[in-house]
Amino acid sequence: MSAETLALVLVVATALGFDFTNGFHDTGNAMAASIATGALKPRVAVAVSAVMNLLGAFLSVSVALTVTNAVVKTFDSHATSAQDSLTMSGDKLLAIVLAGLIGGIVWNMLTWLLGLPSSSSHALLGGLIGATIVSSGWEGVNWVGDGTKLDGVVGKILLPGVASPVVAVLVACLGTFAVFRIVAGVAVKQVNRGFRWGQVGTASLVSLAHGTNDAQKTMGVITLALIATGHWNSLTSIPLWVKVVCAVAIALGTYLGGWRIIRTLGKGLVDIEPRQGVAADASTAAVILASSHLGFALSTTHVASGSIVGAGLGKPGASVRWSTARRMVGAWLLTVPAAAIVGGTMWIVGHLFGLAVGSVVEVVVLLGVAGYLYLRSRRQDVGAHNVTDAWEIDQAAPNVPADLVRGGNR
Amino acid sequence: MSDAFGQDVRLALDALWKVLLASLILGAGLPAVFALAIRSLASGRVIIGRAVAGVLLLVVAYGVVSGLLFIVASGQGKDVSFTHVIPQITEKPA
Repeated sequence: MSAETLALVLVVATALGFDFTNGFHDTGNAMAASIATGALKPRVAVAVSAVMNLLGAFLSVSVALTVTNAVVKTFDSHATSAQDSLTMSGDKLLAIVLAGLIGGIVWNMLTWLLGLPSSSSHALLGGLIGATIVSSGWEGVNWVGDGTKLDGVVGKILLPGVASPVVAVLVACLGTFAVFRIVAGVAVKQVNRGFRWGQVGTASLVSLAHGTNDAQKTMGVITLALIATGHWNSLTSIPLWVKVVCAVAIALGTYLGGWRIIRTLGKGLVDIEPRQGVAADASTAAVILASSHLGFALSTTHVASGSIVGAGLGKPGASVRWSTARRMVGAWLLTVPAAAIVGGTMWIVGHLFGLAVGSVVEVVVLLGVAGYLYLRSRRQDVGAHNVTDAWEIDQAAPNVPADLVRGGNR
Repeated sequence: MSDAFGQDVRLALDALWKVLLASLILGAGLPAVFALAIRSLASGRVIIGRAVAGVLLLVVAYGVVSGLLFIVASGQGKDVSFTHVIPQITEKPA
C-alpha cells in the first residue's frame, strides 16, 4: 500500500469518526426539549432522531465539495474536471484535512465530557484553520472572503456565531410569551397533551434538516480526499458507498444519544415544560430553515441553545440558569481556537514523521485521547436512566465529574 | 482586508433582518396559531371549536409541509420559491 493510499484510508476513517461525534453531539439540539418535557421517552427520542438523520442524509443529492473552502481554499468551484479542481497537491490536502478532522473530534469529545453543547461545524473548521496556519501560514486561511458573498472565518463563523443565538433567543422568547398568553386559563393537562404532539413534529423536522446538512459536510470531505488521490473523477456526484457510510455513521452517533449534552440543554439551562418546548423547537426549526434558505451559515447548536434560553425568558416568572449558560457561551468562544490548536499540533506531528507514518501517529494519538476522555466519562455516567433527573439547584454542571469544574461544582 | 470585513458585516446584516423576519413569522407565529387551535379545542363549544381549530391546524400544517419541502429541495441542491403561496421547487440562484 502506498503512503498516499494509507493516508487516504485514515482520512476516510477519521472523517467517519467525526461524523459519528457530530451525531451524538447534536442529538440534543433536536430532542432535548422533547425528552425534558416527557413528550418522548429518552430512548424513543434518540431513535426517532437517528432515523430522521438517516433519511435526511440520504436526501442529500447535491455535492458539498466546497465545505472546506469556508476557511481554506482547497477547491476551485469554476473547475470543469476533478483533476483541475484542487488548488493544492493531494498530499498536502490529505495532511490538512486529517489534522483538521482530529481537531474537530477532540473538541467534540471534550465538550461532550463536559456536557457542553458546542458547534460541530465550528470545531471542524477550527481544526482546519489550525492545520492551515501551520502548513501554509496566516495568509493560507480564508479570513474574510472576497467581499462578494458571506465567506471566510468572519462571514461563515464569526458573524453567524454572534447573530444566531440572539435571533433564536428573540424568536423563542416572543413565541413562548405569545403561547402562554393565548392558552392562559386552559386546563394544563389538556394544553400539555396538545403541545407534546407539536414538539414531536418540530423536533423531527430539526433532525431531518440536521441529517441533510451535516452528513453532507462529511460526504464532501471524503469525496474531496478521494479526488485528491485520483480515486474519484466526478464533480457532480459522490460515490454511493460514501453516502451510505456517512448516513449510517451520523445516525449511529445520534442513536448513541450524547446524554450529557441533552441533559444540559433539556434540564440545565431552563426547566422546560411542553408549552415552552413547542416554542423553542419551532424557533429552532424556523431559524435554521430560514437562514439556510437565505444562505446564512448558522450553527444548529447555537440556534437550539438560544431557543431554549429564549423559551425560559419568555415564560412569565421563569428563570434561566445563567451559570450554565455562561459555561456554554465560554465553550462557543473557545471552539475555533481550541480546535485550531489541536489541528495545528497534529499537522506538525504528521509533518515530522512524513505522510504515511505521520498519519498513523496522528490517528494513534486521537484514539488515545478519545479513549481517555471516554474513560473519564464513565466516572459519572449520564444516560437514558438519569437524563431527566432534577438539576441540582445552584450547580452549573452536576453532570460533569466535579474535579473538571473550576472551583468545584458551585 | 478591512474592506472585505466591512462587506461581510454588511452582507450579514442584510441577510440577518430577513432571517429574523421569516423566523419570527414561522418560529413565533406558528406556535401562537397552534396555541390558538388548542385553546379553541378547549373552549367548550364543541363544533365551532373543532372547526376553528381545524382551520388553524391547517395553517400550521402549511408551515410544516413548506419546511419539509425546503429540506428535501436543499438536499438536492435546489431552492423553494414561496412567491405563489403554494411552495414550488426551483433551481438555486447561482
